Amino acid sequence: MNHRRQAVRGLAAALAALVALTAAGCSSKAKSGDGKQTGAGGVKTGEGVTDGTISLGALTDMTGVYATLGKSVTQSQQLYVKQVNAAGGICGRKLELTVRDHGYDPQKALAAYTELEPKVVGYTQFIGSPFVAAVKQRVDAQDKGLVLPQAWSASLLGSPYIRVLGATYDVETINAVDFLLKEKGLKAGDRLGHVYFEGDYGENALKGSKYAAGKAGLTVVEQKIKPTDNDMSAQVAALKQAGVKAVVISAGPRQAASLVGVAAATGLRVPVVGNNSAFAPQLLGTQAGPALEKMYWFASPSLPIGADTPTAKKLVAEYRAAYPDDGLDNGIVAGWTAASVFGEALKKACLDKDLTREGVDRALLSLNAHDAGFGMTHDLGDPTAPSSRESVIIQPDKSVPGGMRTVRQPFVSDAAKTYTP
Amino acid sequence: MSETLRSARLRAVPTRAYAWTAAGLVLAVLPFYLDRFWLQAGLFAMAAALGALGINLLTGATGQLSMGHAFFLAVGAYGYCAFAGDGTDGLAGLGLPGWLAAVLAVALAGLAGGVFSPIAGRLRGAYLGIATLALIFIGQHVLFNAHDLTGGYNGRAVPPLTLFGLTFDDSELLVAQVPFGAVEKLWYLGLALLLGGVLFARGVLRGRPGRAMNAIRDHRIAAGVMGIPVARHRAAVFVLSSMYAGLAGVLLALVFQRTVPEYFGMALSLEYLAMIVIGGLGSVAGAVAGAVFVSLLPQLLTRYSDALPLVSAPGTGGIAPGEAARYLYGAAVVAVVLFLPGGLVRLAARTPETPKSTEPSGEAR
Repeated sequence: MNHRRQAVRGLAAALAALVALTAAGCSSKAKSGDGKQTGAGGVKTGEGVTDGTISLGALTDMTGVYATLGKSVTQSQQLYVKQVNAAGGICGRKLELTVRDHGYDPQKALAAYTELEPKVVGYTQFIGSPFVAAVKQRVDAQDKGLVLPQAWSASLLGSPYIRVLGATYDVETINAVDFLLKEKGLKAGDRLGHVYFEGDYGENALKGSKYAAGKAGLTVVEQKIKPTDNDMSAQVAALKQAGVKAVVISAGPRQAASLVGVAAATGLRVPVVGNNSAFAPQLLGTQAGPALEKMYWFASPSLPIGADTPTAKKLVAEYRAAYPDDGLDNGIVAGWTAASVFGEALKKACLDKDLTREGVDRALLSLNAHDAGFGMTHDLGDPTAPSSRESVIIQPDKSVPGGMRTVRQPFVSDAAKTYTP
Repeated sequence: MSETLRSARLRAVPTRAYAWTAAGLVLAVLPFYLDRFWLQAGLFAMAAALGALGINLLTGATGQLSMGHAFFLAVGAYGYCAFAGDGTDGLAGLGLPGWLAAVLAVALAGLAGGVFSPIAGRLRGAYLGIATLALIFIGQHVLFNAHDLTGGYNGRAVPPLTLFGLTFDDSELLVAQVPFGAVEKLWYLGLALLLGGVLFARGVLRGRPGRAMNAIRDHRIAAGVMGIPVARHRAAVFVLSSMYAGLAGVLLALVFQRTVPEYFGMALSLEYLAMIVIGGLGSVAGAVAGAVFVSLLPQLLTRYSDALPLVSAPGTGGIAPGEAARYLYGAAVVAVVLFLPGGLVRLAARTPETPKSTEPSGEAR
């Protein structure tokens, strides 16, 4: 009996202590104010900004399916941060980039987002459009920090905080088809093959090719593949039988190489054009290299890394100095563009004396002619549209740094101008 | 005589009661102090524990290997979305109240298990593992391609659960000046579900069905001779394990706030198997311990990647935290099999405190 009474008494005491503790607001989570204050230089600050630093987050994939892209993007953004800090930082504050590798695992991606969320102003990088979609609700309703995804699907448009930089896949594909029509002799009545990944990227691109085909009087022959399909023999045979005059490929570099290689070997000599994710410079070293140089082009939302602009040349030199062991690819350009857009928004927000998330969001919306130095101007004023509709057509070429030569300067096709996603 | 017995029992109860009360109290106050990150990690662990309980009943206690656990998790998660969704996002949805949708989703997972049970009842051990492998591939194909139901590659948003007028979403609820968002509220739901799941599994394992299951695992023919309907038990435990997976899927969906097909792949099934091997085959505590270990490890390593030796910061070369977590699992599985054949629970059992052996035996065979 004694013991039970003791147990009850102990329990009661513990409960009372607990209630007292929480009621007194001992918890650091207890609400006090809205967390915003005015810091050094009379600048309003919020999450992720102190008098000395501005914290940014990067949610990347360096061990999963997008490992190559993630590495280039991240290193290029780290380089940007280093350079900005060497030049005195932004708003008298140093930039600080916290990188989290989620390995394309939804659980880790969400965990990393949640971990960094209270500590950063926004994210200069978020790889994996399903994960961006997963946090969209939270970003829009409460967090309101800027997120710049490394994905170009039109399904990500529409949020004022999640902003796609450059042409989305559908717009890019429309531009690519325009290139085939204007320069590769494709004409009304012809059949156009489209090999695409199941999922977001491929299906978004298919929307674009169908729209463009409708405008130009082409028929699209669809070939849907899985990201695990590496041999395109069956697809090439089917396309050959259908009598296509050109092929669009919205897949990975491996599939593009296989498609072009098999097509060249089996005598399907038609132009093949891909999206920006369907090429990697490493392909030129493979057996498909010569065929790629002859009959393959791809569209990209920015000039390639080997472009002839002062920014590009400077970036190549500095990147090579910082990471001598790593190759050059377009991930570097994408990472640099995103980081520089974020940096620009921060500078503008600083002028307005408001470095809170709201301030940065507002500053970004007023950025309507930002030139990241790769031939494109980005207009970030409209959250429902991609920041640019321009594409560049690039041809693989061993003789240029990065293995890519621009064959058509930034352009927007007529069909893409009137297209609404 | 009876006096001494009773007083002995009374003396034994308080120490245990103290321990459980203390643990319960700590778990109950955590949402008042911990960051969203930790609560979310905890919720992932709770969901994993529910799933691991299910597969431990099947694989650990009955000796039936299943590679299709991820499929049933997906059925639970997507089932909940389909039952609770109101169709405003253009995807199929029945618009049922959240609690009903959750119950139906678990039932649906059970039904899916039931449809498979003629196979599950006839095949044993590794053969069932191979057969269930098919479920993963079918599941992945459907998840990616049945757009109107699953939303395809980007998945579909999960409608928040409403229970007794309380909505488990991010709308802020002030409790003792601490703002309660989705994870804080879900924490208590998760605890309640896990407690229920643990008690139920314990009941099953300690009663007649548990003994029958262990008999089937240890000697199928002897079990049959003793009058245990082997096929029926196998089928039944398969259904039960699917329902646990379904429940775990519902909880995961609520935490994720979005279901993504990518997640429910082969790797997830393997993770669940790793959980029960590391934790301890056939034991309830083992399933929970293994689930906590396997689901927290990668998140902790990623979070503290800056501070840990050997693990390099992303982008500097060397072992990335994601890879390190995988090596550690591998090492843990090997270490457990070599030195601790009963799993993590044996560690606790080795201490002289609790020599009680009512826990069903979990020796590796």
